[in-house]
Amino acid sequence: MTTDAIRAAGAEQAAAHRRKKLIKYALIHLGIIAFVCVCVYPLLRIFSVSLRPGDKLVSTDLALIPDGATFRSYWSLLTSTHFLRWLWNSLVITVATSFIGVSLASTAAYAFSRFSFGGKKAGLILLLSTQMIPAGMLILPLFLMIMKLGLMNTYLGMIIAYSVSSLPFSIWILKGYYDTIPRSLEEAALVDGTSQIGAFYRVILPLSTPALSIAFLFNFTTAWNEYLVARVVLFSSKQYTWTLGLFELQGQFITQWGMFAAGSMLVTLPVLAVFLYSSKWLISGLTLGSVKG
Amino acid sequence: MELLSSLYEVAWFVFVVAAGIAVLEGYFYYHFKFHDRPWFFWAGLAGFPLLAWLGLGAAGLGKEGLFAWLFATEAVVLLFFRHIVKGRNSLAYLLLAPAFTGLALLLVYPFVFQIYLSFHDLKLTTIMQWKQTGTLPFVGLRQYYDVFTVPPLAEAGFFKLLGRTLWWTFVNVFFHVLGGFALALMLNNDIRFKGVYRTLLVIPWAMPQVVAVLAMRGEFHSQYGFVNIILNKIAAFSPFLASLGVGPVQWLSDHPLTTCMLINVWLGIPFMMVVILGGLQSISSSYYDAADIDGASYFQKLRFITLPLIKPVLMPAVTLGTVWTFNNINVIYLVTGQAGGTEQADILVSALYKAAFTYNRYSYSAAFAIVIFLILFAISVFYLKTFDAAKEAR
Repeated sequence: MTTDAIRAAGAEQAAAHRRKKLIKYALIHLGIIAFVCVCVYPLLRIFSVSLRPGDKLVSTDLALIPDGATFRSYWSLLTSTHFLRWLWNSLVITVATSFIGVSLASTAAYAFSRFSFGGKKAGLILLLSTQMIPAGMLILPLFLMIMKLGLMNTYLGMIIAYSVSSLPFSIWILKGYYDTIPRSLEEAALVDGTSQIGAFYRVILPLSTPALSIAFLFNFTTAWNEYLVARVVLFSSKQYTWTLGLFELQGQFITQWGMFAAGSMLVTLPVLAVFLYSSKWLISGLTLGSVKG
Repeated sequence: MELLSSLYEVAWFVFVVAAGIAVLEGYFYYHFKFHDRPWFFWAGLAGFPLLAWLGLGAAGLGKEGLFAWLFATEAVVLLFFRHIVKGRNSLAYLLLAPAFTGLALLLVYPFVFQIYLSFHDLKLTTIMQWKQTGTLPFVGLRQYYDVFTVPPLAEAGFFKLLGRTLWWTFVNVFFHVLGGFALALMLNNDIRFKGVYRTLLVIPWAMPQVVAVLAMRGEFHSQYGFVNIILNKIAAFSPFLASLGVGPVQWLSDHPLTTCMLINVWLGIPFMMVVILGGLQSISSSYYDAADIDGASYFQKLRFITLPLIKPVLMPAVTLGTVWTFNNINVIYLVTGQAGGTEQADILVSALYKAAFTYNRYSYSAAFAIVIFLILFAISVFYLKTFDAAKEAR
């Protein structure tokens, strides 16, 4: 065989290899795009329904932008239902919950991160084991406690029910983050004459704003999206959180479909933005506890 | 005005919480400061329960039983400070106190209360008595006996529900892992638009679950949901497929469980995908290079490199996923609605939720919840045991 022939054979092999790779990548793209369609289509579909004019709310049309698209549904949602009130209720409950949850978690996590004391390990195990208690199981006793305290259908009842549900998780995230801050920073502050609490307040807290905001977001989204506790504690339409309100709209399928879709869009877009922005940290936090254990 | 008063209510509540924390901290601070004085033990034992009792009495909560309870608690606290803490690490305990008090009141106490309920009889006819006197008739193990003999809703009994729950959990977790694995393997190539794909693929997970489930429920409507519209079009387009039985289905009325499963699989795949992708990216490519030199096929590499190396990431995720799926009230409740509707899709937890809050059978539901918890506990322990064994085998 001449060198030319060998070179030609090599080139051919390389070309075949490249072709194979191209086909492989094309297949991968196709496969992923199919999945992407399945994932995104329902959301686009909600959007399309929310734009439908009132007389064509139910139709077998599959177009994304319907004929005669209008924002009428959004308008009637805001004016003829309690939607804004529902959002406000959710907001008050959620912000109060997250505020309490994060402040309790930040100090507890500091104790776990910086001190060694009797019962530290037991405390950490207790935190993990509370995660084993299924949330759905605590609804009944919480409901009875709230009823006995006379807090049915109030913000306070909801805040009490929500406030500690994300606490163990928040403590884990924050402890993990505090552990990465070098002790020498605090020691420097102590030498400069502040107390341990002062060092925590002036050095550690400002440095851990990213972790604090993630804990806040986690508390926030958990309470914001909660449905089952709200279902049993709140019973008058004006006190509803948005989850209950949307369920009510969706229940009257034919008549309110457009308003339901409009409300869903209004609620989903901000949540989606926040989630996509913070997902990286949330995921690392989610796997933190299990990987370390 | 109403909005302002609601804000005022919340501000007042936050203030009360802060004041409660301050009292708590003061209480512990006192113990740390004076724990080694000779008068400390007796003064604490007599003084604190009395003070607290008077304080709570002024707030309208004072009762004789409460006094005894405070007394016992104080004795335990005193002994704890005297013999275990001895004034060391006072700051750590002061920092931990609020969080753990919160957890004790709102997580541990409800759990204990649930156990108490399960041995008593709280239902619609005894609830007034309970509200006024706080006492309930003791019934021993009867609620537990009822759990296995009396169906929680109208039709399915405990064992049927258990079987359905296991099937539901298995199918969901299986498809979550399968779909997540396939997607992660595809995404783990050096392809274009990877970030965009990843973002779009996590949308079902990122959407508020209530919106996602309710919207999907609407889309399974027999006439106007896109699932049946598409099935209709396929059937019209290809008579051959139509003759095979492809066509519109009465999802919500005839196949509620399948509908719930489809929705939940759709919801759960992104989480598994993200977790597995994270695991795949941490595998060093040198393993694959070595296998290539040895002439390993694609499936051999998958079987002998990827799977074993992904296991430490996958096992906790699968355990978590199993527990979540087992406990998933949300999807089933939102799709099938309150009790009185179809029961064909109910699993243990959703039946429990409906039995408790539609039929007001509180004690029965408490016993039911304890039984479910024990089952779940056994499953988790089993999972973690096998996981530990796998860890040691390596």
